[in-house]
Amino acid sequence: MNTSYQKALKAERLKLKRSPVWLAFFALPVISAFFGTMNYRMNLAVLQSEWYSLWSQHSLFLCYFFMPALLGTYCSYLWRLEHTHHNWNSFLTAPIPLLSLYLGKLTQAIWMAVLGNLWIFLLFYVCGKFVDIQSPFPSAAAEWFLCGVIGAVVICSVQLLLSLIIRSFAVPIGIALLGGILGLMITNKDHGLDYPYSIYCLGMRANNPDMTVDVLTLVINSLGYIIIFAALSVLYLHRKEISAG
Amino acid sequence: MITLKTEFQKIKRRKIGLTIFALLGMQFAWILWTAKSANEKDPTQGWLNLLHTLPLLNVIMMPTIMAVLASRLSDLEHKGNTYKLLRTLRRPGILFNAKVLCGLLYTGIISVIQVSFLLALGYSQHYAGAPDMYYYMLTFILEFACCFSLYLLQLNLSLLFFNQMIPLVVGLCGSLLGLVLMYIKMYSFLPWGGFLSCALVGMDWNVETRVVTYFYREHSTVELCAVGMVFIWIVIFYVTGRIAFTRKEV
Amino acid sequence: MSAQNLVETHNLTKQYGKVRCVNAVNLQVPAGAIYGFLGPNGAGKSTTLKMILGLARPTAGNITLFGTPVHEKNRIRLLSQTGSLIESPSYYGHLTGEENLRIIQTLKGCSVKDIDKVLKIVRLDGARQKLVNHYSLGMKQRLGLAAALLGFPRLLILDEPTNGLDPAGIQEMRELIRSLPGTYGMTILVSSHLLSEIDQMADHLGIIRKGELVYQNTLESLHSHAVSRIALRVSHTDMAMDMLRQDGIKISSEDDYLLFPMMEDSYVANLCRRLIAQNISLYRIEKREKSLEDIFLSLTGKETSL
Repeated sequence: MNTSYQKALKAERLKLKRSPVWLAFFALPVISAFFGTMNYRMNLAVLQSEWYSLWSQHSLFLCYFFMPALLGTYCSYLWRLEHTHHNWNSFLTAPIPLLSLYLGKLTQAIWMAVLGNLWIFLLFYVCGKFVDIQSPFPSAAAEWFLCGVIGAVVICSVQLLLSLIIRSFAVPIGIALLGGILGLMITNKDHGLDYPYSIYCLGMRANNPDMTVDVLTLVINSLGYIIIFAALSVLYLHRKEISAG
Repeated sequence: MITLKTEFQKIKRRKIGLTIFALLGMQFAWILWTAKSANEKDPTQGWLNLLHTLPLLNVIMMPTIMAVLASRLSDLEHKGNTYKLLRTLRRPGILFNAKVLCGLLYTGIISVIQVSFLLALGYSQHYAGAPDMYYYMLTFILEFACCFSLYLLQLNLSLLFFNQMIPLVVGLCGSLLGLVLMYIKMYSFLPWGGFLSCALVGMDWNVETRVVTYFYREHSTVELCAVGMVFIWIVIFYVTGRIAFTRKEV
Repeated sequence: MSAQNLVETHNLTKQYGKVRCVNAVNLQVPAGAIYGFLGPNGAGKSTTLKMILGLARPTAGNITLFGTPVHEKNRIRLLSQTGSLIESPSYYGHLTGEENLRIIQTLKGCSVKDIDKVLKIVRLDGARQKLVNHYSLGMKQRLGLAAALLGFPRLLILDEPTNGLDPAGIQEMRELIRSLPGTYGMTILVSSHLLSEIDQMADHLGIIRKGELVYQNTLESLHSHAVSRIALRVSHTDMAMDMLRQDGIKISSEDDYLLFPMMEDSYVANLCRRLIAQNISLYRIEKREKSLEDIFLSLTGKETSL
């Protein structure tokens, strides 16, 4: 029952004990929801599509600029645990295949992506009730959620690779911000599904809940990206040499 | 001065500029993108549009850029346990000043490049009329001050905490809060609102005609106080940061 | 306050919460000495040294360096004649060993030529162009020592300098430290949790236990405590004990042995004769040294393992 993957996962959980990194995933969506709801109420004259309008206000900034950077922060944190205090030595010599060790990290990141997204949608629902939206909660939200999680995992897989290679904590986060903004432009040119940082926004239907997204392409592209970046990460781990000391 | 010199010896091979200027490059691409469409609609508004766009994009990007800069300058000290040696060679206040000056230089360069880019963009696109240099210089000074106040905040957090996740998350939250403040028009209460308090150009969007008009904002007394707040933040962050750094035992 | 002490502390105390990890310590490090600061792990050695260097603020007490009382204003000036290496070395991993030293040299304001000299002294001149991230632990430790030596200060404060070194490296570090007072006129305050190490290196000694300085003197004086005793094992311990007591000799028993202070040969010979005359069989008679380790253990408390 105790596969190497489960061992790696357990180790990762223990490492994250006593570090309240989830607070960030709690705080950022709250700010975004607060601001989105406020703006929605002030502009009821223009924003008439109820849940859809509210969602556009909730998701706009959060998805384009902040979630990629926040996921990047988390991925940087996951690897910083190894980059500091000579932990690479024990990490790489653990009697567990490197693939399992990597999947342990990825699972943590996925878990955070799921929780973060759940929180975003919970806030969306509560705020909708708060501003007294009469129509039923859109069933499409389930699809936004699932596609969003897939998109978030794509970002995680890229960021895990970057933070693995780059020892600096901050640089990968800068790249994530850059990637998010670039995603905004690429989405505008209708190539969003081909670019890892914008799949998340498209999946979440950020700012534009009415747009149609080819879900099948989204899933296939995402899986492709995740596999490629995971493979590159594991390959890098296999070839990694630890500098002495 | 000697202590400042060592700051630059330390960041050799770190390529700190690379990350910062890549992010600036992104910002310029963004400005280029918005400026092009604005210019096509009404070339006479070009110069004003640029001054309107810069603070807006700075709200979104600068807190994170400053967080990255401050974290990069501080993390190398955490990683090498260096302050227990450096503190036997210089007073903590002087070591802190060196980090502050190093950041001042970077933020200064960033602001110079930003405003130069705007001017170069306007001239190369043959915007109608000439730029109002008074407003461009003022924008430079104010954006510089805003960047620097955020740098000080991030530096304090990055020096205080070994875990660099904390300052980076504060930077991200700050960007988002800045945008919130923009919508509820209460810029001055938080340091991240500074860019908006200092924005010199306002925008008027006519819902019916869908025409955008830019104009130089008349700053009311209240708003001038908000601009003053930016400088007060600088003093507050410098003093508190210096005290916290001096008191910290290594 | 004696002028020939380079370092003096007076009732130096540090309290974290309710725990006093350094309690009223009066350290006296004479000029030209190699002062071994000895104590088990967690006894308060590093905290004491950190307070001397101004890295931790004392809860009470004061410090005198080079005969001048230290306060916030003159601390850095006084420390400019000091080199230090506390716990693990400080370094910038992305820079080379030489570049690291260049930073310290700039701050100390000493000659650039010193860099070459100290690199040679710690034998890192071959690795000067290598990134410190690629150094071994021992090399980093030696780089730390090189940084402390820059400017050839009057006082060197070293906290567990042999940490992480291999046996050859430890030997080398010891010899290097021993040579410094003679070659450069330095005074050295060096801490360790190993008595044998201090014994081979130092001429003065302070022993700290649970935050309190329990012994401070020359190493020679500690050696004089290392008295010899005679141990005796016989068939009738009680009878032998009575006989010795009647002679007025302080006696103790340990396991099956009787222990008493070193006596002249004639007395011991006489004792043997008397024991046999009483029909007491004599099994063993041995000379026992009370070693430095024993003294150290009794000073630091036996319950503490090293």
